[in-house]
Amino acid sequence: MKIWLTHHVQALRLVLSRFQQNKLSTLLICISIGVTLTLPSVGYIVLDNLNGLVNSVKSESKLSVFLRTNINQQSIASIEKTLKQNPAIESVVYVSKEEALSQLGAAQANKAMLSALESNPLPDAFFVAPKLLDASAIDALKNALSKIEGVETVLVDGEWIKRLNHLLLLGKKILVILAGLLGFALISVIGNTIRMQILTQSAEIELSQLIGATKSFIRRPFLYVGSLYGLGGGVLALLMTWLMIVFFNQTIKSIADSYQSDFHLQFLSCSAVLIVISVATALGWLSAYFSLSRTNKNTH
Amino acid sequence: MIVFDNVTKRYPGSIDAISNVSFAVEQGELIYVTGHSGAGKSTLLKLMAAIEQPSNGTVLINNQNVSKIKEATLPFIRRKFGLVFQDHKLLYDRNCFQNVALPLAINGITGLEAAKRIRAALDKVGLLNREKAMPITLSGGEQQRLAIARAVVSKPSILIADEPTGNLDKNYASDILALFKAFQQVGVTVIIATHDALARAEGENTAASHSKVLHLDHGKLIQAVSNTEVLA
Repeated sequence: MKIWLTHHVQALRLVLSRFQQNKLSTLLICISIGVTLTLPSVGYIVLDNLNGLVNSVKSESKLSVFLRTNINQQSIASIEKTLKQNPAIESVVYVSKEEALSQLGAAQANKAMLSALESNPLPDAFFVAPKLLDASAIDALKNALSKIEGVETVLVDGEWIKRLNHLLLLGKKILVILAGLLGFALISVIGNTIRMQILTQSAEIELSQLIGATKSFIRRPFLYVGSLYGLGGGVLALLMTWLMIVFFNQTIKSIADSYQSDFHLQFLSCSAVLIVISVATALGWLSAYFSLSRTNKNTH
Repeated sequence: MIVFDNVTKRYPGSIDAISNVSFAVEQGELIYVTGHSGAGKSTLLKLMAAIEQPSNGTVLINNQNVSKIKEATLPFIRRKFGLVFQDHKLLYDRNCFQNVALPLAINGITGLEAAKRIRAALDKVGLLNREKAMPITLSGGEQQRLAIARAVVSKPSILIADEPTGNLDKNYASDILALFKAFQQVGVTVIIATHDALARAEGENTAASHSKVLHLDHGKLIQAVSNTEVLA
């Protein structure tokens, strides 16, 4: 155990001293990794903030719950109570059939048509604002409301939410593909860099093998190099992302002010920051691992 | 300690580098492996140090059959040997101290203990005052001595040297051979492969106890002479 730990400390010291010797090239590699990681990070922030914006206007979206025409006041009160107790519902507004008729009659064009009617054909209705705006949550709520005794029909008011959700979903898919492609690019960049280092240190590797170094002893420094490149790139990506968000927010603030909104792009959460750093480090390690395996195969 | 039993080594697409060779090396012996270039000396050393596997026959190192040792265990077997290579294999981007430190790093020895051992090894070969020097600034003889310091720093029980005097002038060569004899006198098994006339003469005329000459010709062991036979 002590020897294993000593070997790790040795490898880390060796790698850090090599970074020290090649500061500029190390920095350039970290910057290229950082730039590659910045794109999906910014994309994620934009989509995440748009999602938040959609949620902030969710009160504008409604489901219209039309009741049976012959329903009595007691049943209406019971339905209202049921709706208010539903955890998926944000708010409920009741509009009686009389109120609806008067709202309809307020328009000049409808007056003649309404005067021809013998009785009020409109039903009592509730207008419900859901808590969640994704399509599946709204569909589930619609089904639940349709089953309530006394409800004639439920209409989803706001196709635009669906469209926006679909657009956000498309954006997320594009982001996932972009992140995947950039991940491969990253593996390629780090992998080739490490492959070059393996080749330049081939004499040392050969000597170490001859005098009793294990495979892990030889691989360890390169795995540290990959991981540290990833870590450095991840930290730089976060820094660049933060700077871009600050830059974007200067313009976004002016637009938001004109709408009396305080909307602005928010930086990644602590958990997202940890994920970016972990993914970057893991990609670096993985690149080094692939590179070592490939070089090892070619050598043999 | 090392036993070769009817060992043949054949490289793909070539004739036998070593053919049906049998001999035994005991602890503390000084062995000279002689023969012309291409006689199979280097192959014999690689087989002794478990760097190569025999194509036929058995190589035993401390009663362990090299062919049956797992690949993951081989590095630990190799650590028992101190190797001096024909081309030194020094790391030219590291100073003398750092070159000698490598076998200790592989064995997990660092810090003060490592520094103490490195300086002792450099002192033994007369390079203590050059510990910060880069190998490129050393003469051929000094580079060879640095390679010997690296080979002995981890206190191996067997020291194997491939043509250690090949590129050196007579004075340097005598110094190096004297150094190997000094290691043998403290109980280290020393195996030297050479086609150098001086070294061969040293081997054939040596008065050191427990010494042996293995003479190879085209991969075959044609003569195995112990010092008692020579002296007689």
